[in-house]
Amino acid sequence: MEKLLSPDIGLSIWTAVTFLLLVLLLGRAAWRPLVQALEERERAMRTEREAAEAARKSAEEIKAQLDRELAQIQHKTQELLAQAQREGATQRDQVIRAAQEEALRMAEKTRIQLEEEKNRLVRELRNEVAGLSVLAAEKLLKKSMDPAVQKNALEDFFKDMGKSKLR
Amino acid sequence: MDMKHMLEHHILDEVWLRLPFLNGLLPWSKHLCMMLLAASLLLIFLPLAARGNLGRTAKGLVEALVLFIRDEILEPNLGHAGRYYLGYFCTLFLFILTCNLLGLIPFGATATGNIAVTLALASTTFFLIHIAGIREQGFSHYLRSIVPAGVPVWLWPLLYPIELIGFITKAFALCIRLFANMIAGHIVILVLFGLIFVFGAVNPWVGLVVTAPASVVLVLFVMCLELFVAFLQAYIFTFLTAIFVGGAVHPH
Repeated sequence: MEKLLSPDIGLSIWTAVTFLLLVLLLGRAAWRPLVQALEERERAMRTEREAAEAARKSAEEIKAQLDRELAQIQHKTQELLAQAQREGATQRDQVIRAAQEEALRMAEKTRIQLEEEKNRLVRELRNEVAGLSVLAAEKLLKKSMDPAVQKNALEDFFKDMGKSKLR
Repeated sequence: MDMKHMLEHHILDEVWLRLPFLNGLLPWSKHLCMMLLAASLLLIFLPLAARGNLGRTAKGLVEALVLFIRDEILEPNLGHAGRYYLGYFCTLFLFILTCNLLGLIPFGATATGNIAVTLALASTTFFLIHIAGIREQGFSHYLRSIVPAGVPVWLWPLLYPIELIGFITKAFALCIRLFANMIAGHIVILVLFGLIFVFGAVNPWVGLVVTAPASVVLVLFVMCLELFVAFLQAYIFTFLTAIFVGGAVHPH
């Protein structure tokens, strides 16, 4: 058992030579093709992932662009609608005001016409009354009045007539 | 055959002959054969598996191992420099693992349970640390990076021997850790089997009826543990080597 902890240097040399040869040979025969295939695959996967990432990004950009345009269109529509409403309201106000003015004007005109008509009728009535009065007075006077009274009475009458005519 | 011979037969190397040159320095022994067997198995099956000639499962297994060593062991410790040493670390892991596992099959022997073998493996790590450091940083820059930054120059003559002892200690710890872990399980198993004969010497029926079943169950348990330790120690050796090399490649 004393040999357990006393290394056989010859075996160490064998080991080192075997192991280093193994490293060399396996590196050539096994690891290099394997690692190359692995790295090739990883590169392909990375390229694919990057392409997918780029496609996703561009799709997102397009979507954002469309959203922006949609928002603009909505904004514009609302603006146009608001403007149309404003214009409609203005026009309505104008029409109403014009109609009111027209109505007022027509009422005024009618009133003036009526006034004139009334004045004319009054004038005619007065003339009629004056003629009738004169006729009545003539008849009365022809009957029984002394000339003096007739004269006074006629003068008063005509004075009154004149007054009332002047009014 | 007494207990001592039995233990020596199962644990120690058996040198069958000394090759007739260099003063018989190079042996031809049981552990050497097991080691060469492990290397041959790897040399035959790994290239086939890597090319997909052994089916998708084998290829996937090897790929998973390579990816694990690259992403979990080398990348955190060595960074981008890890690519150059990937093959070394994969080979190191699989070589140690195969040697460990060959010791678990009947009539096998654990080459990594021989201190000469682990010494050689630890030495390659020791040299790899410095070669990688010089390769990544340049010779003079690496020499300066061995002492911690900010230490005054007059302390350097003191620090270089200390750092050298540090490197040797790291390699020595690697050597002893693998060797002891591999041999401990075997010794425990042999002792448990030995208990059967100890009790059997007292009374053959006690040894056969009581101790033998208990020993077999315990040995089965220890075998499972050894299977786990075989993977664990291969991983630890690889991982620690990566940490040490990473320390030399990126000194800060």
